[in-house]
Amino acid sequence: MVSKRKQLSSVFAALADPTRRRILERLSKREEFRVTELAMPFRISLPAISRHLRVLENARLVQRRRNGREHLFRARSGGLKEVQGWIVHCVAGWEFSFDSLDELLKSEQRRYKSL
Amino acid sequence: MKSEVTIKGHGIEITRFFDAPRDLVFSYWKQAEKLQRWSGCKEAKNCQIQMDFRVGGSFKQKMHITGAGDFSIEGQYDEIIEPERISYHVDLGGAVNRVLVEFFEQEKRTKVVLTHEGLPQQFCKFISQGTTESLDKLDRMLDGVAV
Repeated sequence: MVSKRKQLSSVFAALADPTRRRILERLSKREEFRVTELAMPFRISLPAISRHLRVLENARLVQRRRNGREHLFRARSGGLKEVQGWIVHCVAGWEFSFDSLDELLKSEQRRYKSL
Repeated sequence: MKSEVTIKGHGIEITRFFDAPRDLVFSYWKQAEKLQRWSGCKEAKNCQIQMDFRVGGSFKQKMHITGAGDFSIEGQYDEIIEPERISYHVDLGGAVNRVLVEFFEQEKRTKVVLTHEGLPQQFCKFISQGTTESLDKLDRMLDGVAV
């Protein structure tokens, strides 16, 4: 099993590439796409698209289904939840830290005043 | 929640007011012995920080996360303008997180605006709807535990 941290890093790395983000956006428009359909708007080769799809697949952002020789792709909504979770976690982390900082600042100021 | 959170193009922006002068607030980011007293999530214990507080200088934060073990993160300072702004980045296995902290003087208080970038722009737009909902949930959750 892949650790959560590794999974998140692979999601970020997958999303760092503009072509992959566009592929993902296209995938959100319809349920399923053939590789050739996904390759169409891009000026890159089919093998290049396949490589991008593999990266997205490893990051668990897309799902592959084989129908005979044809490979069909769809977006996995669960992959995005992971990143949403990261944002919430990140905000909660800062909020918690800021509360502690607030306390420290308050007690330091109280000390000053009592001197 | 006491902070104000906005989803920005590349990440999130968190704004928080502190009832203290700017120099004092800034000192809590500048000195390791002060920073390690507040930095880290709820699950983090025994936080230790080594830092070289200058542009190009690096820092290392070691901590123990309850239930998950020991972790350390390493970053580097990209910009320091005392006492106005600090920016640094942390590399998390290929994904770079950038943090910009700005300190504004507002009468006797200090407004801290923290921008945490780690998300590509289009992607942020893509998920902002869902995230806003999650943040609302978080807000309610934090309100619930606030004393």
